[in-house]
Amino acid sequence: MDYTNQIREIATKLFAEGKIDVFVGYRTTGFDGNQVPVLINGPGEADRLVFTDQSVFNLVNYLKHEHTRRKRVGLVVKGCDSRSLNLLLTEGQVKRENLYVVGIACEGVVDEKGEKLQNCTECVVPDPVVADVVLTPAGIRAGTPAPAVPKPYNVNPDVEKLLALPLAERTEYFEEIFESCIRCNACRHSCPLCYCAKCCIDQETATLYHGANTTSSAFHALVTWSLHLAGRCVDCRNCEKACPRGLPLHLLHKQNEQVIYRNFQEHLAGVVEGDRGAFYKYSLRDPDDFIM
Amino acid sequence: MSFSTYITDQAGLRKFYEALVNTMETYAPVEKFGRYDFKKVATVDECDPDSPIAATQSIKPLYFPRSAKVMKYTATSAGTEVSETDGDPLAVKRAVIGVKHCDARGLQVLDKVYNWDYIDTDYQQRRLNTILVSARCDRAGTHCFCTSLDYDVENLDAADIAIVNGGDGKIYLSARTQKGEDLMKSGVAGHLSGVTDGSEAAPMKKQFEDFSASFRLKMDYAEVNGNLSKIFDSPEFENVSANCVSCNTCAFICPTCHCFKISDEKIRDTGVRYKSYDSCNNGYFTLMAGGHNPRPVKYRRWRQRAMHKFVYYKERFGENLCVGCGKCTIACPVNISIFEVVNQVALAPVEE
Repeated sequence: MDYTNQIREIATKLFAEGKIDVFVGYRTTGFDGNQVPVLINGPGEADRLVFTDQSVFNLVNYLKHEHTRRKRVGLVVKGCDSRSLNLLLTEGQVKRENLYVVGIACEGVVDEKGEKLQNCTECVVPDPVVADVVLTPAGIRAGTPAPAVPKPYNVNPDVEKLLALPLAERTEYFEEIFESCIRCNACRHSCPLCYCAKCCIDQETATLYHGANTTSSAFHALVTWSLHLAGRCVDCRNCEKACPRGLPLHLLHKQNEQVIYRNFQEHLAGVVEGDRGAFYKYSLRDPDDFIM
Repeated sequence: MSFSTYITDQAGLRKFYEALVNTMETYAPVEKFGRYDFKKVATVDECDPDSPIAATQSIKPLYFPRSAKVMKYTATSAGTEVSETDGDPLAVKRAVIGVKHCDARGLQVLDKVYNWDYIDTDYQQRRLNTILVSARCDRAGTHCFCTSLDYDVENLDAADIAIVNGGDGKIYLSARTQKGEDLMKSGVAGHLSGVTDGSEAAPMKKQFEDFSASFRLKMDYAEVNGNLSKIFDSPEFENVSANCVSCNTCAFICPTCHCFKISDEKIRDTGVRYKSYDSCNNGYFTLMAGGHNPRPVKYRRWRQRAMHKFVYYKERFGENLCVGCGKCTIACPVNISIFEVVNQVALAPVEE
């Protein structure tokens, strides 16, 4: 999966035609194949862009930053990224006419060791659901107006293993996670769907979320955060990759996703345009036999 | 004044660590979720003193805790009562093992600010009661640039006891302070043999030279200091900070960042006041009560971070507030390198 040349061409063309002000893509840092997001402001910089299977970060995150506010933005999205973009569009955070979306028919991205990431092996929507053009191994095609058909759903082995444990052991495991948290909020800041102007976990005067780094404040912050994302999380795992303590945050989010998939008519966040997420819908077909 | 040096091997070093763990409270890197943090250990088996620098937290939290209780209080209509907090026994003698010299150096830099206009007695007490056993790496990591900064890496004066790999299975332990010397004489080094003929000098020098040669990143800090101080308005700050996600990770991981915030955990009438880490990269950092924020955008916050580390601190205390450990780059969600940032800004051509 290497679309470096195509992306450079597209970005150069978009700048030349005056269609965008800024393009969000990836660049290499020059060692170990490591790639980081880059925002470029003109066609002269287009040769910095790359795209390979090491382009991991979900760039939709940058749509909430000041560099892209009130600007026309070109950006590269993979399958999961496009689902988060779909949610931002539905929630009125970005305007579709201001975006030029370069979709990637994603074959999965890899970690530093070259192994496919776990969420990629479980991916149900690898093709972008929102895109102006889609880059595929067979060439460039126009974006998908037809609704995406998800692949068969995969349960996460880590979550299943955890759910099989007795409650006391599960609690103990999560306590270890909360104890290791240093409250740097890298997870929240890396999340493409966290755009609140004042996040509830930043309320320093609140009793539960006070800024101190204690196990109880980490518990309240992480659990509240994960519940706010329940039914919206697209499993891109930006948060988990950002965590400096290596915390398995997908155990919170993926668990929510699985519960929702089972109980909310196989709901998957961001796949259908205009879908506001599991907790924003009311349906008479809801079995109503459980509380999240 | 010179201190004594001892020679040993891997097994002897381990025995030294075991003796330390048995004599006093010992902190060492303990693995959890693939990362290491300094925790109190009961045996040497629990920890990995050779933990990779990239995955290890700094030792800063042992001196400046991530959240320290400042006071307890009860506030009712009858009045307010303030009391001391319990916990964190400052007077306990302790040792830290598995430290890298950049981390130890971080404390030397922090000493300057903690000994400045306000003397932080808690920090001083922790510093006084802690023996630092630090090792010089054999190879530089991908993001390391400690030899490029204003620290004598060859001399290793930041540690109480310095460990250097002498090659051929030989390991040198040398006391660097009176505290370290006293500890070595106290019996924990009873199984080690002292070096008196000066034969340690050549292998230690060679190790330092090999180590210095292994650096990918090199810079001239004096040039960076000088240039940065003149270009506060450089547009380059906007370019280098564009992909920052404004989280706090770099500052929380950094061995030298020392900004903090105050917050209360209050339930009904009683509460505990905490002093916890804060970071200038976070959008709320300079937000004032009236709603004004003098650093509302990313490049101004990043400029503050770069300038504080390489200009303001240097001007005030004569040292850079950066030890070149590269931890921030590795921890950063988008791998922003402080090395790249300051070099790109400082060495950018200036438009006349």
